Amino acid sequence: MKRILTLCATFVIAVCAATSALASGPLTVDIHGPGQRMVNIILLPPKSLGGNELPQPQARAFEELVANNLSYIPFLKIIPMPELLGGDPSRGVGAGDIDFRPMQLARIDLCMTTGWNGRSVEARVFETFGGRRVVGKAYNDVGEITLAQAADRFCSAFLEALTGKKGFFDSPLAFVKQEGEGKEIFTVLPQGRELKRITKLGGFNLSPSWSADGSKIIFTHIAKTRHELGVYDSKTQKITLYSQGLGQTVISPMFGPGDRPVAALNLNGTTDIHELDESYRPKRKLAQSPYIEVSPSFDRTGSKMAFTSGRAGNPHIYLMDMKSGEVRRVTMTGTYNTHPCMSPDGRYIAYTARTGSGHRIFLHDLSTGREKQLTFGPGNDEYPAFDPDGYFLAFASSRTGEFKLYLTTRHGDTPRMLSTGPGQAFAPAWDTALQW
Amino acid sequence: MNSKWYLAAMILLVLALGAGAGCSKKTSTSTPPGTQVEVTDESRWAQPSTSGQPSVDEATLASEAERRAKAEAVQELTSVTIRFAFDSYELNTEARSILALKANIMRRFTDVRVVIEGHCDERGTEEYNLALGERRARAAYEHLVILGVDPSRMSIVSFGEERPLDPGHNETAWAKNRRAEFVVR
Repeated sequence: MKRILTLCATFVIAVCAATSALASGPLTVDIHGPGQRMVNIILLPPKSLGGNELPQPQARAFEELVANNLSYIPFLKIIPMPELLGGDPSRGVGAGDIDFRPMQLARIDLCMTTGWNGRSVEARVFETFGGRRVVGKAYNDVGEITLAQAADRFCSAFLEALTGKKGFFDSPLAFVKQEGEGKEIFTVLPQGRELKRITKLGGFNLSPSWSADGSKIIFTHIAKTRHELGVYDSKTQKITLYSQGLGQTVISPMFGPGDRPVAALNLNGTTDIHELDESYRPKRKLAQSPYIEVSPSFDRTGSKMAFTSGRAGNPHIYLMDMKSGEVRRVTMTGTYNTHPCMSPDGRYIAYTARTGSGHRIFLHDLSTGREKQLTFGPGNDEYPAFDPDGYFLAFASSRTGEFKLYLTTRHGDTPRMLSTGPGQAFAPAWDTALQW
Repeated sequence: MNSKWYLAAMILLVLALGAGAGCSKKTSTSTPPGTQVEVTDESRWAQPSTSGQPSVDEATLASEAERRAKAEAVQELTSVTIRFAFDSYELNTEARSILALKANIMRRFTDVRVVIEGHCDERGTEEYNLALGERRARAAYEHLVILGVDPSRMSIVSFGEERPLDPGHNETAWAKNRRAEFVVR
């Protein structure tokens, strides 16, 4: 009997300690840890401020934009309003105007309020346990066009407050889109807005990659008789094609350390990785062997370069220390590992591994040497690309029968399809300018 | 002096008329009256050209034959592709004998210029396949150079996996798609 009593007492104390800890500590999401829990969020109905009438269409549009943005965050779950018992628990937009108890009961961790005062909008997110404000922003003079931007900015600020990392809502993706027989380059925001055509050159336009400040996109243009190096400048809205001195083949062009262009060229019988000068002429070889070298990828500081090489008989991922020039092999298993993408902090390499059931995205942790499969098909999962903060990964997959772009995280969260309009989509590349 | 020239001209004219009348008489039997002069004039004009025709025909026939032979050679050059194994740019025995045939054609028709296209199947990844396609085209190119074809008449381009011959997703289709193709410019 005594033993049962002590057991019960310990249990009660433990529960009390746990709840008090939960109630006092601010809610944080460790985005570095795998197996994280889901965070539930509810978007409370918009309120009118300053005695003005609520602009219904704008308020609804803003809410939809935010809900769409947040739906791309794999650890956030949006709880629909009707699931909350007792209806709207808020009278205003401040912490004092909200009754957090029904939300605590419904296991909702966060709530968002929006208030409209004419053309100005205030948006806040609170923790339902402590009532602490996670983020609060106000945007003035919100029109039709700026509404979406305001929603993106707010979501970026919210995600940064939650995770300490900037969100990707403002960072566009460049990608390759099938157009009839050929392929052209487009850009789109990851949440599926602002689809924009970059090239209309005909032939095949492949492997887009951004400059450090996001003002240029470099790509391969395949005409009928040769490859050319294409550079799109967003300032002048013009495309320049370079071929002088580059040979017949231009593969995997990109902007490397110091924003200097890097590409795989074949100038004397073997495909090697070359650094180019400012006029896009070959300057020096970065990686070479008698075999194929393609797909360079650098960390943010430019101290390491991951690339694909066929020097072991099959394509594998290699890592070069840019200072010493020392090269080491990264992938030891499988027979076809290609298309590496290094995370901006230089810790991870995501790559495409050919398995018995198609290509899959794998993640290699350079600090531990551990590998993890991130995607599981069906079909082929190819072209991994890190987002600016190195947490999200875009890739292309043929799981629905045709190639489309998808979003996952470096923990391998359930992929979410990105909307890129009709036609197959390949080779996503993230503009990482906002993180520099 | 003037009258002399005048007389000579008159004689020439009369002679010409006489000759014309003589000719018209020969043909007058088969032609209805009324259009005699015009008809004879035309036959007169036509005669030299008809007499020269057989020799022209021979030349055109020869050039026609040459043209046809070249068209056939070009057809032979472009229609037969070279196949490769997966993730390989090695030329097998069959590929070498096809290239020997192509080299013969290239050596005979010296004005033919070709683009050698390298292609891959869909199973690889895009960037590595672009390099592999280039290696395949280059392997064919280098073999033709060894067989005596002027390198300046050939150029190479890799399409990677972008232009499959067979859009299927099976080994038969992939085997067809791993190829080097010849396009005459």
